[in-house]
Amino acid sequence: MLKINNLSAAVDDGQKQILSGLSLEVPAGEVHAIMGPNGAGKSTLSYVLTGRDGYEVTGGDVSLNGKDLLEMDPEERAAAGVFLSFQYPLEIPGVPTMTFLKTALNAQRKARGEEEMKAPEFLKKSRALAAELKMKPEMLKRPLNVGFSGGEKKRMEIFQMMMLEPNFIVMDETDSGLDVDALRIVADGVNKLRSPERGMLIITHYQRLLDYIVPDAVHVLAGGKIAASGDADFAKKLEAEGYDAYAA
Amino acid sequence: MPLDLNTLPTRRDEAWKWTDVRAVAKEDRGGLSAAGLPKFTLPDGVSISEASDGASQTDTPMASLARSISGAVWTVTVPEGFNAKDPLVIEGLSRGHIRIHLVLGKGASLSVIEHHAGDASSFVNLDMVIDLSEGASIERAIIHDDPESCLRVATTHITAWAGAKINQYALSFGGDLSRLETRVAVMGKEVEAVLNGAYLLGAKRHVDMTSYIDLAVPHCTIRQAVKGVVKDKARGVFQGKFHVRRPAQNTDAEMRHDALMLSDTAEIRSKPELEIYADDVACAHGNTIGQLDESALFYMRQRGIPVAQARALLTEAFVADVFDDMSDEPLQESVLGKIREWLGA
Ligand SMILES: Nc1ncnc2c1ncn2[C@@H]1O[C@H](COP(=O)(O)OP(=O)(O)O)[C@@H](O)[C@H]1O
Ligand SMILES: [Mg+2]
Repeated sequence: MLKINNLSAAVDDGQKQILSGLSLEVPAGEVHAIMGPNGAGKSTLSYVLTGRDGYEVTGGDVSLNGKDLLEMDPEERAAAGVFLSFQYPLEIPGVPTMTFLKTALNAQRKARGEEEMKAPEFLKKSRALAAELKMKPEMLKRPLNVGFSGGEKKRMEIFQMMMLEPNFIVMDETDSGLDVDALRIVADGVNKLRSPERGMLIITHYQRLLDYIVPDAVHVLAGGKIAASGDADFAKKLEAEGYDAYAA
Repeated sequence: MPLDLNTLPTRRDEAWKWTDVRAVAKEDRGGLSAAGLPKFTLPDGVSISEASDGASQTDTPMASLARSISGAVWTVTVPEGFNAKDPLVIEGLSRGHIRIHLVLGKGASLSVIEHHAGDASSFVNLDMVIDLSEGASIERAIIHDDPESCLRVATTHITAWAGAKINQYALSFGGDLSRLETRVAVMGKEVEAVLNGAYLLGAKRHVDMTSYIDLAVPHCTIRQAVKGVVKDKARGVFQGKFHVRRPAQNTDAEMRHDALMLSDTAEIRSKPELEIYADDVACAHGNTIGQLDESALFYMRQRGIPVAQARALLTEAFVADVFDDMSDEPLQESVLGKIREWLGA
């Protein structure tokens, strides 16, 4: 499903090389975790996959279901089904959450040549989902993420993810800022989205999240590439032993 | 008698340094030397009269031009205690020199909608005087939507007596050269004024939002928030001044001007000023000029919102909050609709 081949990327106007020859494949239906020390380039990878300005691809290629992702604008990638749950979700003052999400959903549908979701269906779906994620209904009326706590923002990312039903999900440190209850709610949501057509890449610092969302494979990102890979138990070993063995 | 172009303000006049009327006022502008013909829609109970009146209520150069050319004043009288849902609508501010005098009796409450829409290549000089008696309250919506070739100066002189309330909301899309000036003389205690506005300018349009608030009595509250959005080669000017005289203790006054530059060929000039002689006051001003937040834009695009639409949404959100407290919801919706239309173009 997602194929990353020999990917190199730089920031700071190409001055600072962060990824150098990273290769990774996530087949449809699988959940892969990426772990690694701070500053290894995990968030950089998530931005390169989603096309953020300032994250310059200096080599390699990335495809999703055979389509070249790197050729596409961020909004085209989103319409193709790529979703990023941000490590630091942005606040969008003045734009109510529901307006934002409905605009996003229908823009994606339009780009895919599908019909718009009408207001009543949208409302119904969002209310049900908010209840499931134990979110206060007022949150949906407020400007997106404005004044939300760290945990609320993360929950809002999952809410958006479940509304948009993307087919490839990247979650960047979604667990940070969540207490155990919230973590369980979020994990339940994510697990519900697991399906044979969907792939996921879960970036995390801590093994904790992987107790709830059990991955098919775990990779270490160090030195700008995938330095080691293993199964779900590998995450436990990494947490116990640290990343020193993989230092660049 | 044709207007002598040399009597117009030029950039050598400090108050007009960014809005050089003389430079764009050519002899062939429609209405340059003629009286204009405004159109009024009056709510029941409000009366109007036209009288030639040489008395000078106002003393700016543009006011004396209006006086010498238009001669007559349209006087609208709102009786004491008046209160109606229907607004006073003023249209036909499309060319020429126009004088309007609006008088609100004690405790009267009035909503005014002004459509400043000019003829192509015309010259408009509006001189408006508003008297607010004790406890009177006015909500003023100014919708300035001129063709790109129009030259407009609209000056309003408001006198507010004790307990009067002013809620002013101006929306401007500029013109060849335009200035919307509001001058408020606060004469009685406990006056509350909101003087908000927004301008959205493209092409080579220019608008100047100037205000001067003269506070001479205690316990008044002023809130001013002006938002600007400029692109192409447009130019936005904000000049705001609060003059807090010695007796104006306990003045609570806040002035903000925040502008977005959507292209680096556009221009913003701003001069927020506080001149304070009273010692027990809370006065503040803020002025920012910035760009759209790139990370917010990326976030929206990551969710699938095309970049142009993302920019429009963020810009609308930036501008719209100055209109949040308008009491007439359909009017507020139409103001927001105009903003969206501009953003979509
Ligand atoms: N926009 C940027 N400009 C400059 N340096 C950046 C930028 N983004 C990331 N970096 C740098 O790239 C490195 C990797 O960062 P990041 O991808 O955030 O790591 P991780 O998510 O693994 O902690 C760090 O040294 C960081 O400072
Ligand atoms: Mg990170």
